[in-house]
Amino acid sequence: MSRFTMEEVGWTPRIPPVEAETATPAQLAALEACPPAQRRSTYFLTLANDPASLGERGALFNTVMYAPRGLPRADREFSTAIVSMANGCVYCTSVHARRFADLSKQREAMQRVLDEGHKAEIDPRRRAIADFSEKLTLTPGAVTAADLAPLRALGMDELELLDLIHSIAMFANANRLMQSLGESEPPAA
Amino acid sequence: MSDDDLIESILGIAPGSPLHVLRRRRPEALRHAQGAYRELLMPEDPGNISHADRAALALRTALREGDAALAAHFRGLLEKAGAQEAIMLAEDLSGAPMEGRLPALLRYADVVATRPDDVTQETIDALSGMGLTPRDIVAITQLVSFVPYQVRVIAGLRAMMQEGAAA
Repeated sequence: MSRFTMEEVGWTPRIPPVEAETATPAQLAALEACPPAQRRSTYFLTLANDPASLGERGALFNTVMYAPRGLPRADREFSTAIVSMANGCVYCTSVHARRFADLSKQREAMQRVLDEGHKAEIDPRRRAIADFSEKLTLTPGAVTAADLAPLRALGMDELELLDLIHSIAMFANANRLMQSLGESEPPAA
Repeated sequence: MSDDDLIESILGIAPGSPLHVLRRRRPEALRHAQGAYRELLMPEDPGNISHADRAALALRTALREGDAALAAHFRGLLEKAGAQEAIMLAEDLSGAPMEGRLPALLRYADVVATRPDDVTQETIDALSGMGLTPRDIVAITQLVSFVPYQVRVIAGLRAMMQEGAAA
């Protein structure tokens, strides 16, 4: 059994999150820069303890995951689920696998990857995205132009490739924050 | 603008070059990556984590991540500040037990950078015990988690530059 799931996973912070009612103006302004659907989550309220970094980092996350055009959103979610698996972040994997499944309607394909790893992916585009995502995550120093060739062969253009690199890099960041600052609680088996 | 962008100065991305133009199609990613760098390394109000401590944590993380060019940049910040001892401590990857505040912060950076799943409540409580506030703890965790973002953007763009050179 794989430890990865698309079910809701809980997350408990190891330091007290900011309370929305008593947040300072700087903390509220920083939260405003974060993705609207998530800015009242425990995770973002925990990051709000340091508003200066949250404001910039939240805005970066927002544009990397949601900027229009370029790499389709489903591909960004798929890639970040693969990165989160490679880093062992059960919480982030669950969130982004679920978003990919909702956007793509490819729930079974996603479940297979969660259960068996990304080598089980049969769709050529997703497989190429997954291979590149894992390599840039685990061995960034070993990535060369040859690693881009499979993506190019599938017709990926410059902007899509830049978006893919940004998504992968963003989750080198997001997974570490999530794993360090709190504990994930997998659903009861 | 390249002089103002750390990633472009490290990679030598010249104004008007294809990657320079491409990156400006995602202006917010450019602006906020640079903004995060500024707020993490040299915030106006650094709390209990000085600018030198921050540069030392960034240097240590870049070394753990194996990015020599990025490490050299952070070392340069410490040299400019005359923080020779911080450089020595950050560059000591031997794992030898060492007393003191900065070595303890650097050990936290090691765990977050390379084995974040190993962080426990005790790890965080030990930071609080050293007098770090929740804000300080979030700041250093953000910092040590942000350098891996930079490392992967640099690695991905470097591969794209190689592609261009081969074309």
